[in-house]
Amino acid sequence: MSEKPTVEEYLKNIQDSQFKAYKCVDCGMVIAPPSGSCYGCGSSKMEWANVSGKGKLVSFTVIHIAPDEFAEETPYYIAIVELAEGTRVSARLLGYDPLKPEEVKLGSDVKLDYEDTESGKKYLAFKPA
Amino acid sequence: MPLDNSNIVSAAQTKFGALKGVTLREMFSEAVDKATVDAGVPKKDIQAAFIGSFIPEMLVHQGHTAPLLMDFAGMKGIPATRHEDACAAGATALRAAVMAIESGMYDTVLVAGVEKMTSVSTNKATEALAAAADDEFESSMGLTFPGVFGIAAVAHMQKYGTTEEDMARVAVKAHKNASTNPLAQFQKEISLEKAMTPRYIAWPLKLFDCSPISDGAAALVLTSTEKAKQYTDLPVKITGTGQASASMNLCDRDDLTSFSASVDASRTAYKMAGLEAKDMDFAVVHDCFTIAEIIASEDIGFFKPGEGAKAVNDGVTARDGDKPINPMGGLKAVGHPVGATGVKQAVVLYRELLGDAGPNQVSKHDTAIMHNFGGTGATAVVNIMRRADA
Ligand SMILES: [Zn+2]
Repeated sequence: MSEKPTVEEYLKNIQDSQFKAYKCVDCGMVIAPPSGSCYGCGSSKMEWANVSGKGKLVSFTVIHIAPDEFAEETPYYIAIVELAEGTRVSARLLGYDPLKPEEVKLGSDVKLDYEDTESGKKYLAFKPA
Repeated sequence: MPLDNSNIVSAAQTKFGALKGVTLREMFSEAVDKATVDAGVPKKDIQAAFIGSFIPEMLVHQGHTAPLLMDFAGMKGIPATRHEDACAAGATALRAAVMAIESGMYDTVLVAGVEKMTSVSTNKATEALAAAADDEFESSMGLTFPGVFGIAAVAHMQKYGTTEEDMARVAVKAHKNASTNPLAQFQKEISLEKAMTPRYIAWPLKLFDCSPISDGAAALVLTSTEKAKQYTDLPVKITGTGQASASMNLCDRDDLTSFSASVDASRTAYKMAGLEAKDMDFAVVHDCFTIAEIIASEDIGFFKPGEGAKAVNDGVTARDGDKPINPMGGLKAVGHPVGATGVKQAVVLYRELLGDAGPNQVSKHDTAIMHNFGGTGATAVVNIMRRADA
């Protein structure tokens, strides 16, 4: 894991159910999705970081109307999750009824997962911990 | 120091809506004619053009639009450039024009915005709009534009207790104001009950929380103070302008209940104009979704964070309230042809400040603020304007 991380590899890792974040070599800040420069110190030296997969639900929505590509998957959750490592990611949210969003509590503990689609594409996802 | 050389001397828009049978270049040309020859500004006086348009490549399969549009409008030859910053395209074009006049390079320029969106299906238009969000990290998992603002709404509801009904009241106000605006896409009042119809687009946002897909164009002429006298005794001056950027990704933002670019751009604009929010008689803000108007009213400093919804409920932002917001109906009811919106907002300020807004006229109209933002709020432009004799 010493090679310089790339966006292509980041996206492929998700397809392989092997999510990894970026980590600033200079200050240690964990960053995902990728950034070309560190939000903490401005360095552009990055390496890969494994994450615990633990996170908290920051906010979410339920998509009912979507472009053709996603139309058959509606309704589905998209959430903002803050990982235990401090960075926030956007992801699908599993394990909740999309027709009962009022039951979802912000701040809930969630853990890393992946959502498979019929097309074979995988989404980064979280489910209740 | 407030800007002193940027004068709007004419401003106009086409009707907004599903303009069947009218193409991009025809809408553009109509708005330009209204803002030039019909307003007493000969086209030959225009030295350069700044044009906002978001994504004609996907909507009408046309790139390199600036020279094409200018040729059709009978103004080929002069420098013409398209500005693309998603829904802020119109206001970034206007800002570039302000810089061009203030620099002294030109005396008289055209600013215009245009978008033709109903030429494709709603799903296709949604897909085109999604190109204004981060494709690799957010849109590609199915996050849509209404979804972006749904996420902001959930965060605002959680932190401040804002409700779906509060958001619906923004829609009711928008439709009420647009009901007397003949250029609006929807000229019909709606009841609170109707605004609350549970047709979810991206929970908690429902159909009536969303601005429509629209066609339309808007244009204005900006001149130096010296040249302005040729065209009018009473121009509207742009005295402060601000622009800021923020992360495209929602997930890279610490606070989902405010848009930092809106806050930053309005601070810059107020500072330049030497004014504060309390000095503004009214505002035109980017209400692409009802929650966006509530948040914008807080971000531009009209209300404290979390108090935007209360202001709507108390009628403060109504046309006859103390701080009217979107007195002609906003994006929500007038329509949102993306690239035209920022210019149309300036058209609304121009008409209201001059006292030329007919049944939509606000009572105090010396100084006002316009707020236009792009996509997920990654670009924001704020302008402060005042009537020249105010
Ligand atoms: Zn760092």
